[in-house]
Amino acid sequence: MLRHLFKLIWNKKKQNFLLISEMLVSFLVIFAVFTLLIYDYQNYKKPMGIDNENVWLINYNNSLKIDNTDSLDQYYETLAQTIKSLPQIKEISFTGDNTPFSQNQNTGGITLKNKRIDNINWYTVDDNYKNVLDMQLVEGRWFNKGDDVVKDRPVVINADLKEKIFGKDNATGKYIEDIDNKTRSLIIGVVNAVKMKGDFANTEPGLYNRTDTGSFRWMGKILVKVNSGADAAFESQLYKTLANYMKSSNVEIEHLDNKLKNANYWYLVPMIVLLIVAGFLIVNVTMGLFGVLWYNISKRRGEIGLRRSIGASGKSVSAQLVIESLILATLALIIGTFFAVQFPLLNVFDLPAGVYLTAISLSVLFIYLLVLICSLYPAKQAAAIYPAVALHEE
Amino acid sequence: MLKNYFKIAIAVLRRRKFFTAISLFGISFTLTILMVLTAFIDKVVGDDYPDKKRDRSLYITRLEEDGPTNMSSAGPSFYFLNHYAGSLKIPVKLGISSGYNGTNTYVNNKKIAVNYKYTNADYWDILEYDFTEGKAFNKLEVENAEKLAVISTDMKKAYFGDESTVVGKYIEADNVKYRVCGVVKNVPLTSYLTYSDIYLPYTVSKTDFNDKAYRGGYTGILLANSKSDLSKIHDEYEQVIHKVPMESKDFDHIYSHADAYITSYLDTGNEKQSGVVIALTVIGLFAFLLMLLPTINLVNINITRIMERSSEIGMRKAFGASSKTLVYQFIIENLILTLLGGLIGVLFSIIILKIINSENLIANLELSLNFTVLLIGLVICLVFGFLSGVYPAWRMSKLNVVTALKAQ
Repeated sequence: MLRHLFKLIWNKKKQNFLLISEMLVSFLVIFAVFTLLIYDYQNYKKPMGIDNENVWLINYNNSLKIDNTDSLDQYYETLAQTIKSLPQIKEISFTGDNTPFSQNQNTGGITLKNKRIDNINWYTVDDNYKNVLDMQLVEGRWFNKGDDVVKDRPVVINADLKEKIFGKDNATGKYIEDIDNKTRSLIIGVVNAVKMKGDFANTEPGLYNRTDTGSFRWMGKILVKVNSGADAAFESQLYKTLANYMKSSNVEIEHLDNKLKNANYWYLVPMIVLLIVAGFLIVNVTMGLFGVLWYNISKRRGEIGLRRSIGASGKSVSAQLVIESLILATLALIIGTFFAVQFPLLNVFDLPAGVYLTAISLSVLFIYLLVLICSLYPAKQAAAIYPAVALHEE
Repeated sequence: MLKNYFKIAIAVLRRRKFFTAISLFGISFTLTILMVLTAFIDKVVGDDYPDKKRDRSLYITRLEEDGPTNMSSAGPSFYFLNHYAGSLKIPVKLGISSGYNGTNTYVNNKKIAVNYKYTNADYWDILEYDFTEGKAFNKLEVENAEKLAVISTDMKKAYFGDESTVVGKYIEADNVKYRVCGVVKNVPLTSYLTYSDIYLPYTVSKTDFNDKAYRGGYTGILLANSKSDLSKIHDEYEQVIHKVPMESKDFDHIYSHADAYITSYLDTGNEKQSGVVIALTVIGLFAFLLMLLPTINLVNINITRIMERSSEIGMRKAFGASSKTLVYQFIIENLILTLLGGLIGVLFSIIILKIINSENLIANLELSLNFTVLLIGLVICLVFGFLSGVYPAWRMSKLNVVTALKAQ
């Protein structure tokens, strides 16, 4: 039976070649869309890693001209005390530019047992950072005052980096070196990874450095955790306090909630546009396939009439036509899967292989379903052909 | 002859309405997407408010310092632009402005986010902002570091509410009171070189504008006397940059260019990556992938329809029509179909652009179909019709007369 169907398909290879290529391209489009959707959904399900509610971000352009490091530290220590003395402030933290949900990124590399590991998000933060953002420790501890006097530079890494370099082993107490193997740092703790680019972005390997005496020369961000009752009136008071103290800086206060909303917005808009475009493409393909299959079947009235007249049931005629279309789809899917499988094999976009495989199986199912729907109605029409009428036409 | 083809095409279109609907749907929808994309690009790159003299301006947006181990890239500092770009002989004027930065202001316990930009006086001569009231600050006022501000219409509404005139009133931003001297029409955020909520004289900047560091986040606009001077200015600036002493021992190269608007607009911040090339590749790839499926679909349907007309083709061939004539006829028919689809596509585009504009996805970005967009749409239509018509036409012309006639 199958052999016979293959023969029928081969006889019309030119026409079928075009049908197959149409199914193939549709499969690749659907594969891309599913990959993105599954990846985004997986990221969305992951915990954020921080609590961004009631956290404000203060940006200031650091144009202070104080050469003496001690007086520089003193200047910012006074600022911190001033802010903390305001009524609604719970906690404050000085940090580098790559704050949550911002466009800024700062990456660096480390060496571990002479193996170089690059593309690590490089954060410079102070002792209060973890409390301001309510980050969770996985093991070890966060920085504290005692780290001022330790011999080895302390660092905290996040769970993603830990898994990447140590696997399941504990990381606390181990040493890493910087790129030129000159200085070594002691890992004192591991924190949960944070989705720094919003709800739909993935977590990335990260390394937290403790601010040192020179950091205030270039840092320009302060994160503050406020009480839930803090309103615009208080924000205005905070703003005045800052602007009056930092006379030579431009100051801006942003809310992390809004920054998250913004980051998500710029993620969702292209996604929605893509989905609309893909949706229209699929409707287009569905109608096209339906039309061509219908036409092909109506061209084969003679053949179908003949089969009916020598005893084939309407059901078996429909089945033959549906199976023929499904064989065409299978051929397209075999080629398509061959291309799609290259993505996890060659690790093209650095996505987990599971995402690709789920996407492939879903797309295969989708294309089969699409072809089935497109061929069912024409096949039903074919089953309704009266042998006498069909043969009479010839 | 063409009239005949046209008649035949319409007759064929009316014969199987389902197929016609599928074809038209595919064509019009593909064109709609491409035209909305074109309208967007045209607005973002082609909108010449406020820099109407763009065709005789060059933009300096970046300064890159390279060394053996590190690379730093940012907008040049005010000092650098004033000192080096200011030393050029050929340009008529040099407009200098900072990038836009954010700050806040609080009115009646309401927070307003403000983007501010520092400019010099020549900036206002080169760029033709539409002033709804007042005027820009002049050279003397800038030199005296007067606390003046030009604000945007949006800013006026947010800060002053419904007051009719605000020139002479004070606006507080960044804890400083500025006197409003002019109100200008809004610039969309996508024109990031000229966008801001308030514009201030560079002399009131809190950072020291005479700082001799090379990098500092400013942009320079060089205005030429005529278009022909542009390449001379470009070369003159390259020569000046070539002689600039290294800022520190870490670096051995300094790059900075005076480029046309598009090149500067799409700058990637890296000397080795051309933003124009990246943008063209991405757009080209998107357009190709988008058109691929509808084209295959249309080819499929076209072939089906041609086979339906085999008797007509056989007859024409029997009476001596050459393959060339038949191919020609079919491509014309297909072009008529695509142009019809294109017409529907234009209608769709108008509706979609209306929706996008009313949703205000990007503030102050009013998308519209203008002559350029329509022209590009027409070109896309023709390419589309040609691509989907060639293969079926070739298949048709290959039909054997005898089999074609026997088929019925």
